[in-house]
Amino acid sequence: MAAPMLTPNDPLEPAPLIDGKYSDKEINNSLLAHVWRGAGKGWWACFAVALSLLGMLVISISWTLYKGIGTWGNNIPVGWAFGIINFVWWIGIGHAGTLISAILLLFQQKWRTSINRFSEAMTLFAVICALLFPLIHTGRPWFAAYWLLPYPSTNGIWPQFKSPLTWDVFAVSTYFTISLLFWFLGLVPDLAALRDSSQSKMKRVVYGMLALGWRGSGRHWAEYKWAYVLLAGLSTPLVLSVHTIVSFDFATSVIPGWHTTVFPPYFVAGAVFSGFAMVMTWMIPARKFLGLKHVVTMKHLENMNKIMLVTGMFVTYGYVMEHFIAWYSADPYEFAQFYLTRMHGPMRWVYRTMIFCNCVVPQIFWSKRWRRSIPVMWFAAILINVGMWCERYNIVVTSLHQDFLPSKWELYMPTWVDLSLFAGTIGLFSTLFLLFLKFVPAVAVTEVKELRHELAHDPTADPVGETH
Amino acid sequence: MSAQGHDDGHEHHSDFVPRRFVVAEFPSPQSLLDGTTKMREAGYAQLDTHTPFPIHGLEEALGLKRPKIPLIVLCGAIAGACIAYSLIYFCNVFDWPLNIGNRPPHGPPANIPITFELAVLLGGGSSFFGFFALAGLPKPYHPIFESNEFLRASIDAFFLSIELPPGTDAERALADVRAAGAISAEGVEESER
Repeated sequence: MAAPMLTPNDPLEPAPLIDGKYSDKEINNSLLAHVWRGAGKGWWACFAVALSLLGMLVISISWTLYKGIGTWGNNIPVGWAFGIINFVWWIGIGHAGTLISAILLLFQQKWRTSINRFSEAMTLFAVICALLFPLIHTGRPWFAAYWLLPYPSTNGIWPQFKSPLTWDVFAVSTYFTISLLFWFLGLVPDLAALRDSSQSKMKRVVYGMLALGWRGSGRHWAEYKWAYVLLAGLSTPLVLSVHTIVSFDFATSVIPGWHTTVFPPYFVAGAVFSGFAMVMTWMIPARKFLGLKHVVTMKHLENMNKIMLVTGMFVTYGYVMEHFIAWYSADPYEFAQFYLTRMHGPMRWVYRTMIFCNCVVPQIFWSKRWRRSIPVMWFAAILINVGMWCERYNIVVTSLHQDFLPSKWELYMPTWVDLSLFAGTIGLFSTLFLLFLKFVPAVAVTEVKELRHELAHDPTADPVGETH
Repeated sequence: MSAQGHDDGHEHHSDFVPRRFVVAEFPSPQSLLDGTTKMREAGYAQLDTHTPFPIHGLEEALGLKRPKIPLIVLCGAIAGACIAYSLIYFCNVFDWPLNIGNRPPHGPPANIPITFELAVLLGGGSSFFGFFALAGLPKPYHPIFESNEFLRASIDAFFLSIELPPGTDAERALADVRAAGAISAEGVEESER
């Protein structure tokens, strides 16, 4: 081959996406191994913690439904608080999954292959957690269909189609449905691989039913590839629209701190930022404990860190722009919100945590050494998760608690119900995620095999395994 | 399992004619493509390949027409957009117009988000359900699952299956597919259930 020798540190040449040389069968077995292996002590320990948090969710939802949403800390003027903070936070976390699975697919970023299944699952579970909050905050979710869905009821009235909250209903439910279909479509060939490598009859029957009789037919693949790429193509504008519409909930109002045109792009960037942080938080332990280090390589982690750096800068730009416009508009309420309430008000610690975690922390990823250090990136990812939660707290609560009329100002304190609901959704997410890791291959096996063949036959790509 | 095997003890289902297949394994994706092309040129019509992942060039080797999914998705997306817009228009303009600050009941910019979301929902839904409808899935039983080797089609093996029309000689097909580069080949037939 006439290609020049590849040096491992040349930034223009790809690092290996699959570390080492494996046959299809070895890839198959190593990526399915964690499904066949019995649950270890570590898994049960995590599962126990997750289940107890889930128990808190059940208790706090039951209490909310029994007593009403008066059990929450919301007051006037802080009419929106934990419910919407957590909704926006969770929805944002979901966005990284769609970005990885859809947008990186369209851009033909081969490194997405090892992490897409994992992050798509995260999208689904995060959206489930997010959807809980708007449902519960209605107080009587069984009536919510009356208010949210356009169906001809005997009330004779329709939802307000000009309200961003109604747009939200359509956006989030579409997002969940499409993410689920996309995830399952990608999973079908892997379920067939699970069916065909199962050792017990029960597993074969269960995975066989889920695989829907998939037989890898070339006639099916021909349509499948199109169905998959079109779902990706539809998910791409969808994911941008979802957080844009979520930001409209705020941006179309007149509250200082919300009424900002920079909100849609800044929300989308923030969503991807926090989503990648959440992928990192889970991916780093998972690749170790599930034995996935050969397909989720340092290159993948490094790429994700770079995306966090970029989106962190978008978010920082959003903050700078908000502050600039607050000053430039010469509106006293806007000015007071940004330069007095947020910076020096009673909730200044939230603002300062936000600035530190979202603007300062990602800057460490300029350094290649830190970008490749597992403890550093894991810690940074957790700080970014915290920072992005603080951002939503800052937008929602800080903006509301000191509004136009000082006599109306009121502090906000979450109650135990608010806190348990939030902790409970973390439990729900973790429970679903641990079950996913136990029963479904965490890496898209089919796509990794395809990638292996592609890399092996592409002379310009990294010679897989040849350098090892 | 043999293509010559005939069911003798099934008087009450004498009209059952099992579908017969030849299932052949090829050593690599490229040899599968070449073998498929050869078999198609030799006049075998009902060919299909079975591989763990999509292989570039399968459509040409199998002689497939353009995929139908894109058109289905386009129709789904257009239908979604039309349904959403006409629903909002009907509600806001005819069924229950609300006069808020004398704004017109039909406000096109406010209709964009829901119209877009429903286009994506129905477009994506038709991609998913359209694919399974075209593929004829779910289909838990297929005669080629009778082959024991076929388990590897989802793991690391590349198969070509040839459905034999009634009255065709299986031995000839087996010989042809071996000549086309298959490393192993066997005849399977649908089991009566």
